[in-house]
Amino acid sequence: MIFLKRQLPLAITFVMGVAFALQYYIPHPVSEEAITKVSDWMKIISGFALVLGIASVFHVHAVKIRRQAPGWGYSGVLFAAIAITMAVGFWSGGESKADGAQTAFGWLYDYTMVPLQGTMFSILAFFIASAAYRAFRARSPEASVLLVSAVVVMMGRVPLGQFLVPWTWNVTQWLLNVLNSAVRRAILIGVSMGSVGLSLKIILGKERSYLGGGKDQ
Amino acid sequence: MKAFSRRMIAIDRRIIFLLIALAVLLPLLNPFGLPIKVSPEVKAVYDYMDALPERSVFLLSFDFDPSSKPELEPQAVALLRHAFRKNLRVIAMTHWITGTGLADNVVAQVAAETGKARGKDYVFLGWAPGGYALIISMGQDLYKAFPSDYSKTPTLGMPVLEGVRNLRDVNYMVSLAAGGAGIEMWYVFGKDKYRFEMAGGATGVIAPGLYPFLRSGQINGLIGGLQGAAEYETLIGRKGMAVAGMDAQSATHFVIIVLVVLCNVFYFALRGDKGKQA
Repeated sequence: MIFLKRQLPLAITFVMGVAFALQYYIPHPVSEEAITKVSDWMKIISGFALVLGIASVFHVHAVKIRRQAPGWGYSGVLFAAIAITMAVGFWSGGESKADGAQTAFGWLYDYTMVPLQGTMFSILAFFIASAAYRAFRARSPEASVLLVSAVVVMMGRVPLGQFLVPWTWNVTQWLLNVLNSAVRRAILIGVSMGSVGLSLKIILGKERSYLGGGKDQ
Repeated sequence: MKAFSRRMIAIDRRIIFLLIALAVLLPLLNPFGLPIKVSPEVKAVYDYMDALPERSVFLLSFDFDPSSKPELEPQAVALLRHAFRKNLRVIAMTHWITGTGLADNVVAQVAAETGKARGKDYVFLGWAPGGYALIISMGQDLYKAFPSDYSKTPTLGMPVLEGVRNLRDVNYMVSLAAGGAGIEMWYVFGKDKYRFEMAGGATGVIAPGLYPFLRSGQINGLIGGLQGAAEYETLIGRKGMAVAGMDAQSATHFVIIVLVVLCNVFYFALRGDKGKQA
């Protein structure tokens, strides 16, 4: 069992990791065919990840309902919504339109999913305003710099600000293109180096947490 | 002053919510229509699209879902209007399963408005799993990645895809992204490997994070948030949802700026008080 649980996954990870790191630099038809085949496998695995996600959601919320944890009623609503959406989806053959007309599934998407998600996101504007009022204070020199930059960018990114204080447009462009780019680039390089390091650790079998826990590990 | 400052700092947040609601609503009812300045990053996208010869292949990836609709749908509409006006062949798709219906509606609506036909002038491929693996797959063989379009029509033999085998045959690509599966992924697994020119469109929140890609030339242009969409609408000379929304955004920004300034005035008034007490 230890071979299947530990040595085989480590061997597959090593071989695939090395092979496809090299594949990127080999523009040969065999190499291209290999990446095509493996990308098909990855698409199939991604499909299974969806099933795994649904199973995980079911498990988490079923436990919540069974234990009657605070807010368990919302979990009930979630199950009802999933059941209704699946039933309507199967009934409509998974199509949002049929013969040019909207199906029940399409209606459910357009008139529940779209407005609900839009509402969730737009509520953020209200909370951001409230949080900015309470938290955006010049408590230190660093916070003052952030505060001034934020005010200038907020002015420079909207027509009213550009109209009232025209120089904010140029300063905003400079902040975004120079200071912001430099800092973001530094973060990106740091994150990328970290990713390379972690990938090497996984390929070489130093990092094994992806294999999961258990007595055999 | 101190008592007033203390009261104002602890103001009921519902008052702030009301101010924001008014700042959004009033300009929508009574627009003041200030001119929109166009940034070089948006102009670059417009210029590249405008210079493409007729029937060039333009790939638009809707990498968002309805939560980002207010910012990214106007960008999509403006880009599609420009592409159809230039008589480009449009291939649309999405990496976000929850954005499929939205993307289909937007493409169909703009195509109908400009008199373009599905299968001949445009195709909506829909969604397929895989993320970056899907991009690699499209880079190898578009017809294996998407054997049929969203309306179940086989892609092989479609007039709109004539001469298109994979991503190498795409002339220009724009990813409209609201998060992870978007512009960076298209660059790393698409443009860098299959050599097509691309730009990005993003929500206001993630746009600043994409400037390093813009400055290095990895993307040739960037449309950021509702402001970016409004700039594109100005460039194509067809004002739409974004220009209409910019007045509300202007007013909201101003309310937040005033609130932040007031909050700091009250904060310093109270801080001075604390200093004296010490």
